[in-house]
Amino acid sequence: MFLHADLDAFYASVEQRDHPSLRGRPVIVGGGVVLAASYEARDRGVKTAMGSRQARRLCPDAAFVEPRMSAYSAASKAVFEIFADTTPMVEGLSIDEAFLDVSGLARVSGRPDEIAERLRGRVRDEVGLAITVGIARTKFLAKVASAVGKPDGLLVVPLGGEDEFLHPLPVERLWGVGPVTAKKLRNNGIFTVGEIAAIPENALVATLGKASGHHLFALAHNRDPRPIVVGRRRGSIGSQRALGRSDPSLGEIEVMLSGLVDRIGRRLRRANRVGRTVVVRFRYGDFSRATRSHTLTEATADTALILDTTRVLLRASADVIDEKHLTLIGVSVAQLTNADAVQLSLPLGQRNRPSVHETLDEIAEKFPGVNIGRASGLSGSSQMAVPLLPD
Amino acid sequence: MKFRCERDTLFEALSSASRAVSSRSGALAVLSGIKLTLEGDQLTIVGSDLDLTISVSVDVGGDEDGVTVLPSRLLVDIVRALGAGAITLESTDGDMRITAARSEFTVRSYPPDEYPALVEPPTEGISIPASSLTEALRQVVPAASKDDSRPILTGVLLATEGDALRLVATDSYRLSVRDVTESAVLGEDQTVLIPSRALTEVARLLDDEGEVTLGLTERDASFRIGTTTVVTRLIEGEFPNYRGLIPDHHPNRMTVNRLELLDAVRRVRLLAQETTPVRLTMSSDGLDLKAITQDVGEASETIDGIYDGEELTVAFNPEYLIDGTDAASGDEVVLETVDALKPALIRTPEEPGFLYLLMPVRVS
Repeated sequence: MFLHADLDAFYASVEQRDHPSLRGRPVIVGGGVVLAASYEARDRGVKTAMGSRQARRLCPDAAFVEPRMSAYSAASKAVFEIFADTTPMVEGLSIDEAFLDVSGLARVSGRPDEIAERLRGRVRDEVGLAITVGIARTKFLAKVASAVGKPDGLLVVPLGGEDEFLHPLPVERLWGVGPVTAKKLRNNGIFTVGEIAAIPENALVATLGKASGHHLFALAHNRDPRPIVVGRRRGSIGSQRALGRSDPSLGEIEVMLSGLVDRIGRRLRRANRVGRTVVVRFRYGDFSRATRSHTLTEATADTALILDTTRVLLRASADVIDEKHLTLIGVSVAQLTNADAVQLSLPLGQRNRPSVHETLDEIAEKFPGVNIGRASGLSGSSQMAVPLLPD
Repeated sequence: MKFRCERDTLFEALSSASRAVSSRSGALAVLSGIKLTLEGDQLTIVGSDLDLTISVSVDVGGDEDGVTVLPSRLLVDIVRALGAGAITLESTDGDMRITAARSEFTVRSYPPDEYPALVEPPTEGISIPASSLTEALRQVVPAASKDDSRPILTGVLLATEGDALRLVATDSYRLSVRDVTESAVLGEDQTVLIPSRALTEVARLLDDEGEVTLGLTERDASFRIGTTTVVTRLIEGEFPNYRGLIPDHHPNRMTVNRLELLDAVRRVRLLAQETTPVRLTMSSDGLDLKAITQDVGEASETIDGIYDGEELTVAFNPEYLIDGTDAASGDEVVLETVDALKPALIRTPEEPGFLYLLMPVRVS
């Protein structure tokens, strides 16, 4: 059996935990956009990623709180320690949710619902947060169950009771059904998962296309053979930055890029990973997006080489950036492998000396609170470090 | 324009010139074409992507002078498909009629006045024996970077070293240097950075006989080989200071038969999959090569050699090791090492003007 454990309104709950005056009130965490909203605020229609102006209109009495990423990181770490204490089979999905495989623990720890109740109690007592747990035979169903069980709940889909649980649910509950697919299904008179399950697979494929059709057919019949993947390594490491209303010059964007790349380089080296493909993502004022990537000859974790590559990709998009307003820039390094066999580079140019980046890594490691980086990055607003799962 | 010529002559000239035609259709559609100019009995065929231009002149039976630009790929395909024998090309009203035996093609041409003016190669130049340059290009050009995001490293540096012309290329993982003696065609402090792509074309055109004439201007270099001329734009910027990279002292020297090493690496490489290196252990017992790919298997081989130094294991990317061993001519190669993390050197006693510097793979 699988547990899907998901912290409720994570950022907002941490704020309510730490500031008693916020408890029972609508709380919105974020600056320009809503990063998280408490259940009180959600009841009023506030959603994640909504503009703060709209959120204020919907919920004028909400408390707006600046995010405190270090507090969220610490809370996440504490919760993951409880997960690891519960079972060795933990697959983290993000900082506030994970799958736990509790099969075979019956003798040691009891029934899945007993394990889940104990887990919820420990998270409440030791970390002070509410966590909802869904339990089912497959990962997909466990995740649906926790979503249905929210907030602060425990929902067990009993063995053999899968269809009974799943079929009355609206199609939107299925993973992969967004507004577009949901509309297509509704246009065909399909509103519930049970109605999908009643359609032959080829008809579903004809309506939704090959990938989507097969996928939903399998989910509606609760076919999800995926096991828990413990310690699955990331395929890429990235970082992005929203630019808001400012209209930065190419030079200023390069400064932001170097900040992002510094961070990615440090994460790569700390995780002992190297990557071959450098990807730069752009989002523009008209909501269009573009991705540019370049694959290097050899995998690297070298900040200077990654930065050079992102600059080339940035300059190749200079015309579009000039024409449209850039609202977000992101960098990631993909095709990651373990750095257990790294092709070394000749120390061309000034890279003859011990790398500046390695020294910076050491400083960052030793003094976690110290903000050290490029002088060119000083003029801009400080970059917000979003907490992450370990790399 | 109207002329007659042999299919083989025309095909060879077209294939050479078309190699400079860009496969990507850029802003100028006419550049996907190949330009034919007939003056008397001389036909000049030009292909270009503006950075690289290749022009070939051939003797034909000219009837009527003229200029035309035809789609390069299509023209090459047509001429390739025709059998040996005479071909006649005749332009009529924006079309080109190509006839051979009982085949006839009519191909729409580009307006020749849309074809951009190209750099004229300098008439003066310095000659180098083709044979010495052929070998040097084979040894050096493969070490240049293929990564366009590092434009400087995609070039081959030409410089003067004593009485020699020195060629240097590096992709930052290995560095190849070759001095061509008695060919100091550049000034004392003059250096030029030539795109490796252009030199690949030069190497393709060279044969062991005759000579190549190098012409230089501020922005371009030209290579004249017989009736073919390759003109390339130079790469601007400063080539890294490579001299400081070559360690002046290598405590460990392994001398082995070059072909034996090459064969052994090629065999052992089969079990060095993905990014796994080949580990070379050097000792007085000889050179031991080993490759292990997890979940696949392993391979090892020992070859005889003369070793002077401490027992040492260094890991290399097998491809780079093969390139360097292949580039070194001669029967024997010397592999000089400092330790498992410092650049290693491949030389050959038979060709003192060549050296290949190679960075190891760090294994943990």
